[in-house]
Amino acid sequence: MAQQLLNAIFIGSIYALFAVGYTLVFGVLDVLNLAHSAVFMLGAVITYSLVALHGVPFLPAAGIAVLICGLLGLLIEFVALRPLRRRNAPPISALISTIGLALIFVAIVEQATPGTLFSWLWQDGANAVRFPTDAVPNPTFHVLGLTIEGTKLVILITTVLLLLVLGYVIRFTQLGRALRAVAENRRAATLLGIHVDRIFASTLFLSSALGGLAGLLFGLAISDISPYIGRDQVELKGLAVIVLGGMGSIPGAVLGGYLLAMIEVLAFVRLGSNVEAGVAFAALFLVLVLRPQGLFGARLRERL
Amino acid sequence: MRTGARAIVLGLVLALSACGGSSTTGTSSSNSYQGKTIQLGAILSLTGAGGVYGPSSQRGMVLAVDNINNAGGVNGAKLLLDVRDDGSLKAQSQQVAQTLIQQGQFLALLGPTLSNSAVAVHPLAESFKIPILAVSTTGIHIVPDCNYPKTDACTYVFRDSLGEETAIPTNIMVYAAKAHPATGVLMVANDDKFSSDGGKIVTNTVGKYGIQLLDTISFSKTITDFSVPVTKAVQKHPDVIFITSLGGIPASIMIEARKQGFTGQFLGGNGFNTAVVSKQAGDAGKGAESGSAWYLSNTFPSNAEFVRDYKARYGNDADQFAAQGYAAILILADAAKRANLTFTDTAGDRTKLRDAMESVNIQTPLGPFQFTTNHDVKQTVWVIAMDGHGGFTLVQSVNPS
Repeated sequence: MAQQLLNAIFIGSIYALFAVGYTLVFGVLDVLNLAHSAVFMLGAVITYSLVALHGVPFLPAAGIAVLICGLLGLLIEFVALRPLRRRNAPPISALISTIGLALIFVAIVEQATPGTLFSWLWQDGANAVRFPTDAVPNPTFHVLGLTIEGTKLVILITTVLLLLVLGYVIRFTQLGRALRAVAENRRAATLLGIHVDRIFASTLFLSSALGGLAGLLFGLAISDISPYIGRDQVELKGLAVIVLGGMGSIPGAVLGGYLLAMIEVLAFVRLGSNVEAGVAFAALFLVLVLRPQGLFGARLRERL
Repeated sequence: MRTGARAIVLGLVLALSACGGSSTTGTSSSNSYQGKTIQLGAILSLTGAGGVYGPSSQRGMVLAVDNINNAGGVNGAKLLLDVRDDGSLKAQSQQVAQTLIQQGQFLALLGPTLSNSAVAVHPLAESFKIPILAVSTTGIHIVPDCNYPKTDACTYVFRDSLGEETAIPTNIMVYAAKAHPATGVLMVANDDKFSSDGGKIVTNTVGKYGIQLLDTISFSKTITDFSVPVTKAVQKHPDVIFITSLGGIPASIMIEARKQGFTGQFLGGNGFNTAVVSKQAGDAGKGAESGSAWYLSNTFPSNAEFVRDYKARYGNDADQFAAQGYAAILILADAAKRANLTFTDTAGDRTKLRDAMESVNIQTPLGPFQFTTNHDVKQTVWVIAMDGHGGFTLVQSVNPS
C-alpha cells in the first residue's frame, strides 16, 4: 500500500502543476483555457524532439520547451482570447476558441511524420514515444521496500518548489498584487493604473509555462509521449481538480490535485479499475453538493 | 533488373495460385480484364491507438498493389487502393465503411485495423454483401460469427490475420513446455475488445498448463501511467505477467514492471508483434514472447521477396502487420483473377469474388495460405521473442493442427 501511496503522490504532483496553470487563468480572466491540455502535451513533445531529434541535452531542452510553452500562452491570449474580449463576447466563446486552438495543436503533432511540414517538431504521427534512455539518468532507489525513481523524485521536488515560488510571487510581488487586483475587479484595477491586458498576457504566459513544465515532467517520468497525453490524461481531471479545490484557488488546485490522485489510486487498489473513475467523480460530486464553492471555498474577493 | 525479377516472381505466384484455385472453383477469366480497374477500399487506423499498426498495414498493401500493377495487373486489370483513416474510433470506422460502401465502386474492403471497430464494420459489409478481408483483427467473434451474439455465419467476412484464439494458447503451450511457470497475473484493458478478448483466452488457457492465475488486473486503455496497476501486479510475485493489450501499453507495462523489480516472463498477444512495440520496450521487453503470424527472417521465397522489397521501398524492416496487409492484396488479386469479373455488375462481381476467395491457395509472406471453412486463416504460428533492440528472434514454429 505504501508503494501505491507514493505512486499517488507522484501523479498528484502532475495534476497539481497542471491544475495550477488552469486555475490561474480562470482566476484572473474568468475563462477556462481548454488549450491548456494541448500546451501540456507540447511541453513533452518539444522537449522530446529537442532531445531525441536535435541532440540538445535534457536540461536546456526542458528550459527551451517551457519558454516556448509560455510563448504559446501568449499566442492563446492574442489569437483566441483578446479578440473576443474586445468584442465583449461571452465567456463560452472564449472557451470554444481555446478548444479550437487545442485541436489545431494536437492535429499538427498528430500529422507530423518524416517529410511533412512539421517533421522538425515531431516525426511519429499518432504513435507514442519515450525519451531515449540515455537522455536523462534515472537511478532507481529501493528504500524500505519501496521503489523510487530518480525522475519521479525530481517531479515531486520541482512541483513543491515551484508552487512555493508561485505562492510567494502572488502574495508578495508587484506582479502578484496586480494579478490579484485584476482578478478581484478588472475595472478598478484599470482605474488604479494597472495595464490589464499586460496582466492577462503575463497570466497566460505563466500558466502555459507551468502547463508545459507539467507535460514534460509527465512525459519524462510517468508516461509515453503522444499527441493525446493532454487530452486523455489531464484535461478532464485537471478540470475536476480545480472544481474540487475551488475554481480560481491556487492552494485549492494543489490540494485538489493530490486528493484526486489519492482517491483514484485507493479506488483502483481497493475496488478495481472499473470503478476508479466513478469513485473519483463521485467524490467530486459529493464535494460539490456539500460545498459548492469547492474545498478551499474561493469567493471572488479571495481569488488566487 | 530487380523490378523485372519481382514481376516474374509475382506473376509466377499469381499464376500458380490461379492454377491451385481453378481446381475447386472451375473458374477462369473469359471476360476481358484488360484496361479495367479493380477498386479496393481499406479502412485503417492511421491515427489514434491503432496508429501503431494501421500505417504498417497500409505500407504492405500499397507495396503489393504496386508490385502487382507493375507486373501487368490482374489479368491486365489495374488494382486501385483507396485507404481511409478511421482514427481508431469505432463510430468513425463505421462511418468510413458506410461511405465506401455507398460509393458503390469497391469490389472489396479491407480492415478495419482494430477488433473493436470490426464488430461495427463487418456486419455492415455482410448486410451489403461486399467481401471484407480483416488484415489485423485477431479478437474473437470476427469470423464467422461477425454478428455475435447471433451465431449465423457471415458469408462475406474473411480474415487473414491469425486469431488470438490460436496464437495465445500456442504461445502459452510453448512457454509452459520449456519453463513450467506456476503462477501468472493477467493485465487487461477492460474497455478494449482486443484486450479483453485476449484476456478471456488467457484465462481459459492457463489452467491446461498448470498455471494458477493469481489476479486479473484491468485498467482503461487510455491510461498512460502504469505505476499503479503494475505495482498491484508485481506485488503478487507471479512467474508470468500476461499482457493482452495493444499500442504502447505492452511496452509501458514491461518498462514499469522491470523498474519495480519484476524479473519474471512477459507473455502476450498480437499487440507485441510489431517492431514499434519491441523498440519501445527496449531492454525491458527482451525475451517477451508472443505467437505471431509472421517472422521477419523466414527465408522462403514469398517472404524473402516481400522483406527485400519492403526494405528497399520504405528503408526499414517490415512487420507482421505489413506482411498481413501485403498478403491481403495477394489474396484479393488471386481471387479476382479467378472470379471471371464482369466489371458491369458490381453486386454480382462481389459475390463472384467472395466465392473465389474461399478457394484461395497461394504462397504469401505468412507462408502457404488458405482459408478455413469459417473464412479464418490457416497457417503456421511463429512463436517469437523480443530481442531488446526493436526486433524479434524465433523461438519455435508450430504448424496448424
